[in-house]
Amino acid sequence: MDNWEDMKIVAEQWSKQGIEFVQQIPSPQLYAAIALLLLATIWLFSIRLFRRTKSNTVLLSGLSGSGKTMLFYRLRDGSSHQGAVTSMEPNEGTFVLHYENIKKGKVKPVHLVDVPGHSRLRSKLEEYLPRAAAIVFVVDALEFLPNIRAVSEYLYDILTNASVVKNKTPVLLCCNKTDKITAHTKEFIRKQMEKEIEKLRCSRSAVSTADITNDFTLGIEGEVFNFSHCHNKVTVAEASGLTGEIDQVQDFIREHVKP
Amino acid sequence: MLEQLLIFTRGGLILWTCKEIGNALKGSPIDTLIRSCLLEERSGAVSFNYDAPGAAYTLKWTFHNDLGLVFVAVYQRILHLLYVDDLLSMVKQSFSEVYDPKRMAYNDFDETFRQLRMEAEARAEELRKTKQVGKPVTGSVKKQGQVLKAGLEGGNKRVGEGGTKKDDGDGIKGKVSNLTNGHSNENHKMGDDSQEADRANGKENTSSNVAVDISKLQKLRSKGVRGRGGVRKADSIGNKSSKVAAAEPAKKATKKNRVWDDAAPKQSKLDFTDSVDDNGNNDHVEVVAADQGESMMDKEEVFSSDSESDDDDDDEPGSDEKPAEAKKKGWFSSVFQSITGKANLEKTDLGPALKALKERLMTKNVAEEIAEKLCESVEASLEGKKLSSFTRISSTVQAAMEDALVRILTPRRSIDILRDVHASKEQRKPYVVVFVGVNGVGKSTNLAKVAYWLQQHKVSVMMAACDTFRSGAVEQLRTHARRLQIPIFEKGYEKDPAVVAKEAIQEATRNGSDVVLVDTAGRMQDNEPLMRALSKLINLNQPDLVLFVGEALVGNDAVDQLSKFNQKLSDLSTSGNPRLIDGILLTKFDTIDDKVGAALSMVYISGSPVMFVGCGQSYTDLKKLNVKAIVKTLLK
Repeated sequence: MDNWEDMKIVAEQWSKQGIEFVQQIPSPQLYAAIALLLLATIWLFSIRLFRRTKSNTVLLSGLSGSGKTMLFYRLRDGSSHQGAVTSMEPNEGTFVLHYENIKKGKVKPVHLVDVPGHSRLRSKLEEYLPRAAAIVFVVDALEFLPNIRAVSEYLYDILTNASVVKNKTPVLLCCNKTDKITAHTKEFIRKQMEKEIEKLRCSRSAVSTADITNDFTLGIEGEVFNFSHCHNKVTVAEASGLTGEIDQVQDFIREHVKP
Repeated sequence: MLEQLLIFTRGGLILWTCKEIGNALKGSPIDTLIRSCLLEERSGAVSFNYDAPGAAYTLKWTFHNDLGLVFVAVYQRILHLLYVDDLLSMVKQSFSEVYDPKRMAYNDFDETFRQLRMEAEARAEELRKTKQVGKPVTGSVKKQGQVLKAGLEGGNKRVGEGGTKKDDGDGIKGKVSNLTNGHSNENHKMGDDSQEADRANGKENTSSNVAVDISKLQKLRSKGVRGRGGVRKADSIGNKSSKVAAAEPAKKATKKNRVWDDAAPKQSKLDFTDSVDDNGNNDHVEVVAADQGESMMDKEEVFSSDSESDDDDDDEPGSDEKPAEAKKKGWFSSVFQSITGKANLEKTDLGPALKALKERLMTKNVAEEIAEKLCESVEASLEGKKLSSFTRISSTVQAAMEDALVRILTPRRSIDILRDVHASKEQRKPYVVVFVGVNGVGKSTNLAKVAYWLQQHKVSVMMAACDTFRSGAVEQLRTHARRLQIPIFEKGYEKDPAVVAKEAIQEATRNGSDVVLVDTAGRMQDNEPLMRALSKLINLNQPDLVLFVGEALVGNDAVDQLSKFNQKLSDLSTSGNPRLIDGILLTKFDTIDDKVGAALSMVYISGSPVMFVGCGQSYTDLKKLNVKAIVKTLLK
């Protein structure tokens, strides 16, 4: 009890000294100091607010050989140069899309990432998914049916990824190589993908408690899977990286990376 | 002549191709090279062979790790072009001077390339002529001589330029021959390791023809049974097998019950298995419903990641202390360099770090030649790279190795068996899995575990007892089948396994089973008649999945087992598309603490993923391979 009172007395003395010290400071300095402090806190808050706004990262993903690297360079430079081979590393760049160079005014640059589609490099995708504002999933419309299982599994993995579900990242299913005559239409591809994902949904959710890698399941129980069941928006578009018809992709990117 | 030479970035964009040589390449050799060689961590190899209908190419490559560029040369395999390595290195040098990350088209490089190519071809021609003028050589020695020439070319280049500057009245040929003689001295002075080694090889081989033949033989033998040099070895195996085959029927004809002197010949049968009725249950065998709990395949693997950073910190000073003596100075300088950020990584810098890594991998039971190849591949990918500041060489090497290991262990294709089973179900065929492996690895035990797991996922399973050789194999499977309540197809002993499997699949189609698990007898990889029988089984039945069962305790033999199994399956297959091993089942994983290297060796040598891991002897002890945990354990 004595200790308590002693400590109380010491605390009172210290607080008195502090108040005296503060009162000793001439008032303009004091006000200036307080104003600075307030400004600093406001500044920090505003930075945090800005950070919460959407990032400008757009991911280009898809199976190996679907045309992502060509699309990347077409979006960046307007031409696909001399062609591409299987990528071993991701292609990244922050730039204004090529067709917007002509536009006047300030346009926000887009951080475009082309992730290799080879199955051995699948782990690279996991690094970029949390920061993605939008995903362009490139599908080879020419060689669609032979690869349909691999394509649907990849898309299923993306759609059930934790970050994608939490952020409700919009996905564009881009059917590439549509300049060739034997390429399938986007409606056909969409229907086939929905069917395959339906099958995947059944087999993967038949597993008990912990599934292989998927954190979430897709769709509504009891109904045939449809892309509209996803919480994030999934749209379909056609494109051709070789000839340069990529308007739908550009619109999609511009729509989700606000200038 | 050269078919094509490409320069592309690691991100996949082609920067430059040779436009003079207009031939389009048949097939897609570059993509195949990237997928099956560079991404498989075999970039330390010398060349890559590609076969397409109508063309047989050989590809050679080199990296420029600092700028992230890859240079690939493609030529016909029948032409043994010698100047390719030299040309690639020269192209690399001159292109890296021109390279600019912003530029995408390098049309002016055509001119430079044409000059370089002509120079290289001319040099090769000259060297060949001067060598032919020299002493007469036998065929094999000529090859060694050509290798020697290729080694000398690098030295030629520099002095050749100096030579053209001099103006003498001598003819060019005379000058060249002088220069070639002068080079042989210069090479020793320059002290280039590879050239000296080539020269030394050339000297040893020209000493006596007998020595050449033996060394050639040894080289071919070390390459393995593959290749024409291996014909001799195959012949010897063939002889052995024919002898064995001749002995076997003779043995079978005369085998009778042994009669010991003191015991009276018994007539009672030796089969002590209990008599069972076909439909009822046996009293002794209990049915194992699903109450053993869920298989560990479905449980999430929990591994602690918090201790990771502590281990790394503890390890770093530890690994530095090992090569203590003369390396104290080296350690201090490396720390200094790490802060300043040294210019470029050289082979000599990477050497000790890689050696330490290789030793560490080998202590974790990775096969020796796999560790060697991996280290070469990591070296090829790091050489010439700029060391970023505040990182030590050992940590860069470790990061690169970790990346490479994750890449190797990540499966190339989907290992979702349930999905495949459902796909087969739709087509109304049973999904056939064949378990192969050497003796005693645990095929029958793990077959039962897989059956249990499949049953838990509401898949109807049937077992096929195609191990008709080992006594007790059919009874073992019968017991498992009774415990799990699944049908079993058996025909007893001494029957042809291929026919038994065929009938089993027909039975499964009839009664609507989803999966057929086929058990085969264990066999050594060198045993020719047994491998032929296995190949016949696989060819006849065309299973959906060929699962190689290997134990985690195996050491360097894993490489031999898997490569021989794959090779026999491909050699002895009748159709054009041979069925190779599709997946690996790793057993006895609970007996190794942290010596998990067998998984890496097996996956590297065969390219097929590990589908299951057996970690105990009860039905629930089956789980999936956790790639990150294995990589962490390997590099600890």
